[in-house]
Amino acid sequence: MIDSLSITRTLFEDFRPLAVTIFYAIGYGAIGVFLWGTWIQIRKYRYGTTYDVAGSLISRFKQMSATMLTHRTLVRRDHAAGGAHALIFFGFALLFLGTSTITVEYDILKPLTGMRFWYGNFYLWFSLVLDVAGLMLGGGLVFMMWRRGWLKPPKLNYARPDRSPTDPDYDRSGYRIEDWAFLWSLLIIAVTGFVLEGMRLVWLQSRPEVWDYRWWSPIGSAVAMAMRGVGLGAETAGTIRSGLWWFHGLIALAFIALIPFTKVKHIFTASASLMLRDPLAAQRLPRVPDTQESVGFSYITDLNWKQLLHLDACTKCGRCHEACPANATGAPLSPRDVILSLREFANKTLASGTLPDQVELDIHGKSPGQVSMETLWSCRTCMACVEICPVAVEHIPIIVQMRRKLVEAGDMDPLLTKTLQTIAKTGNSFGESKRKRGSWTKALATPIKDARKEPVDYLWFVGDYASFDPRNQKVSQTFAGLLQEANVDFGLLYDSEQNAGNDVRRVGEEGLYDLLATANIEAMKNAQFKTIVTTDPHSFNTIRNEYGDFGGTFEIEHYTTLLRDLLTSGRLKVTKPLGYRVTFHDPCHLGRFNKGYDAPRDILKMIGCELIDMKRCRDNSFCCGAGGGRIWMPDPVGVEKPAQNRIREAAWIEGLEVYVVSCPKDLTMFEDAVKTTGNEGRFVVRELIELVREAVASPVVLEAPVEELA
Amino acid sequence: MATKILVAVKQVIALDEDFEIRADGKDVDADFFLRDLNEWDDFSLEEAVKIKEAGGEVEVVVVTVGPEEADESLRKCLAKGADRAVRIWDETMEGSDSQAIARVLAAAIKHEKPDLVFAGVQSSDHSFASTGIAVAGLLGWPHAAVVNQFDFSLGATQAVIRRELEGGVLQMMNIDLPAVLSIQLGINTPRYASLRTIKQAAAKPIESWGLSELSLSASDVGEAGSASRVRRMYIPEKGRAQMIEGSLAEQAAKLAAIIKEFKGASV
Repeated sequence: MIDSLSITRTLFEDFRPLAVTIFYAIGYGAIGVFLWGTWIQIRKYRYGTTYDVAGSLISRFKQMSATMLTHRTLVRRDHAAGGAHALIFFGFALLFLGTSTITVEYDILKPLTGMRFWYGNFYLWFSLVLDVAGLMLGGGLVFMMWRRGWLKPPKLNYARPDRSPTDPDYDRSGYRIEDWAFLWSLLIIAVTGFVLEGMRLVWLQSRPEVWDYRWWSPIGSAVAMAMRGVGLGAETAGTIRSGLWWFHGLIALAFIALIPFTKVKHIFTASASLMLRDPLAAQRLPRVPDTQESVGFSYITDLNWKQLLHLDACTKCGRCHEACPANATGAPLSPRDVILSLREFANKTLASGTLPDQVELDIHGKSPGQVSMETLWSCRTCMACVEICPVAVEHIPIIVQMRRKLVEAGDMDPLLTKTLQTIAKTGNSFGESKRKRGSWTKALATPIKDARKEPVDYLWFVGDYASFDPRNQKVSQTFAGLLQEANVDFGLLYDSEQNAGNDVRRVGEEGLYDLLATANIEAMKNAQFKTIVTTDPHSFNTIRNEYGDFGGTFEIEHYTTLLRDLLTSGRLKVTKPLGYRVTFHDPCHLGRFNKGYDAPRDILKMIGCELIDMKRCRDNSFCCGAGGGRIWMPDPVGVEKPAQNRIREAAWIEGLEVYVVSCPKDLTMFEDAVKTTGNEGRFVVRELIELVREAVASPVVLEAPVEELA
Repeated sequence: MATKILVAVKQVIALDEDFEIRADGKDVDADFFLRDLNEWDDFSLEEAVKIKEAGGEVEVVVVTVGPEEADESLRKCLAKGADRAVRIWDETMEGSDSQAIARVLAAAIKHEKPDLVFAGVQSSDHSFASTGIAVAGLLGWPHAAVVNQFDFSLGATQAVIRRELEGGVLQMMNIDLPAVLSIQLGINTPRYASLRTIKQAAAKPIESWGLSELSLSASDVGEAGSASRVRRMYIPEKGRAQMIEGSLAEQAAKLAAIIKEFKGASV
């Protein structure tokens, strides 16, 4: 009977003591290099400004662990890559755990207490699990090689839209080589591991405590059988094993040592980034501290340490690059490349113990590592990048902070400058007199209450476009009619309402935002109401998420939830189910920003429409292109606009009758795009409110025809 | 020795929607006033700040004649790079025309002794287009109006200017310094003053002067010191614009009839 204590693997079998010492020396050396490399990274982050992590670190850690163990963020929009990554992740983790387990016995427990546990059944199951882990690891790596080398998704060539071929930092071959080196070195470690297993088995085949249990290491055993099959003898196997042992060991230790210097550091930077995630990063932008002299980001050291960490967390997966509407329409912006540029810049300037002169820390411009004006102004702040990033990089706050500096310096498109001046003067982007804000209500038979003069249940925050743009004024009048028919008690702020400021803030004019928000909050505080309702998703976002930082916390809903309630409760009755084949465009600021995907769809169902979602729907909805102040900047001529790209996507839907929106800017952008893409007559663009009006058909009495508004 | 550039600015009034004339019939009801810095002054101030930023010791002083509300426009100038701001006002200055204003500004210039004076070609509300040049006349200084290009080196006694005339014609001149120049739109691209810089400029002081600081008396200013007086301000009767109603065919017929009527009348 074989003694179970002998069913184990003798470490350093047949090694001279000097060899073991040398190995340990190299091992400690590798750990030392690893620690030093880690210190260099941490020192780099310390050059950033302060940042206070909200919430308990323990619950953040738990959330991060759940995210990592389920690979929830990694399987989104690329199931195959997510699955392969899980194989690599869990394979590697198990193998690392395995090695650590052995170390616990060999280097700690056994020398100190004489205790052993790595033998017998435990050892056999251990061997099986680790063989499976190695297979998972190898399998995942091979898939990734196939994906990169044969499938060749375009995002993995890292071609960047913000540089031209003559620029020194245009060439991305360095990144591609590093990626392949990473895959190959890990694969070599895995494969040599299995071959080593096989070699050891052949070498020790004469020992029953080894050979009789070989199938507990199935892969190693298969290798051993194959080697024996081609005539490999025990002695030769032993020699090969010695050489291969060192080869495998040295590559593995080099791999560990180089972690902080290579993309493998994402093991730590990605998990830390996930742990520090701010779920409202794009929805609630940071205030400028009153004590701060300068505004926005001019230098790499203006970023806070968490943002510097973000720069290192990026794994170049390209999901943000693919999701970005600016990138999709040829603008010189890729969120990925903003992050990578700044990473390269930080690595160049913050890599040593002394800081270079401030002038060398300027991150604005076109030199290697800098981000240009054109790139920054291309952003629509639609948050597709932030939302999809598997490692929780927060691109938008960085872009907006850099814009703040551009605004301060006046480096803006002249039309944008003019618009900001107009908003500062008149409180709206149309340049209309404040007194005219409520003019659209004159066409209604029943006047709307003034919430400044009498208490109401709902304060309706209308917004600029819905107040002044003729097409959107019709929608406002329709919505007013619906509310009145449902006997909702509501009122307006009339000329005390100003631009809510969401886009002004995202342009980077923080001072003007402060002015607008403060004025609106004061007006709201002087009115009496229970809840705010708004037809404008941009206003919805900023009032809901940002006004609190300026002293105004209010309950607010977007009209879609209110209308849904009115329909479900029967206060509005569907008398004419519409039967249209429709698609719904999720507005960025309602959908992605505030998770408001369901109410509009519920409404469409209730009014009897057949909804066929576009491929890029819900969290992946494709921005109309008007956000981030872009509606106040001219688009380049002759290039496809995001709205056109989106309408072309909708045009693929067989028999589409109505393209439904629930945002004033969407209505404007898409009606235009239907015309300019030649889809006029094929389908129409309608606001959801207008469809509800049709389905809840009841005469709407207007004093004057809707078209003739002053 | 610092070069001092004095920029005379004005807070002008734009009219809100559906404005009404004041009870005394001499002006629009102040309820409908929208105040802002005169558009020409954006350009003249920018020109001065550009000279300052080109290097050397330069001080830019903005001066305005106006009541307390004008402080807001002065703050905007400070935000854009002016070093000092001065507001001159006395109740007796109410009702001043451009000549009376010029008299006040000339007194301020004698007080400040600048090396260069910029003004806007005109103001967008009263459009006299004479204040800047009247100042030069009172001081006896070299002057040029409608300047759209200005080349000069610090410490020089002459500058080269370009003036905009009618019909797209440009005139280049040498001018002796110190001089008064009225600056035209388009001479440069005025910078944006972010609201934050305007707010920060609120910390900078605005000097406030009255009659005594300038050795002026009440008879020098206001209606007493003006060369003209406002009799009345009014909105002219609406012109002969007529809305042609009806169907397309009816509208076409009516239009044809009107054209025939005018053709007949001109024969």
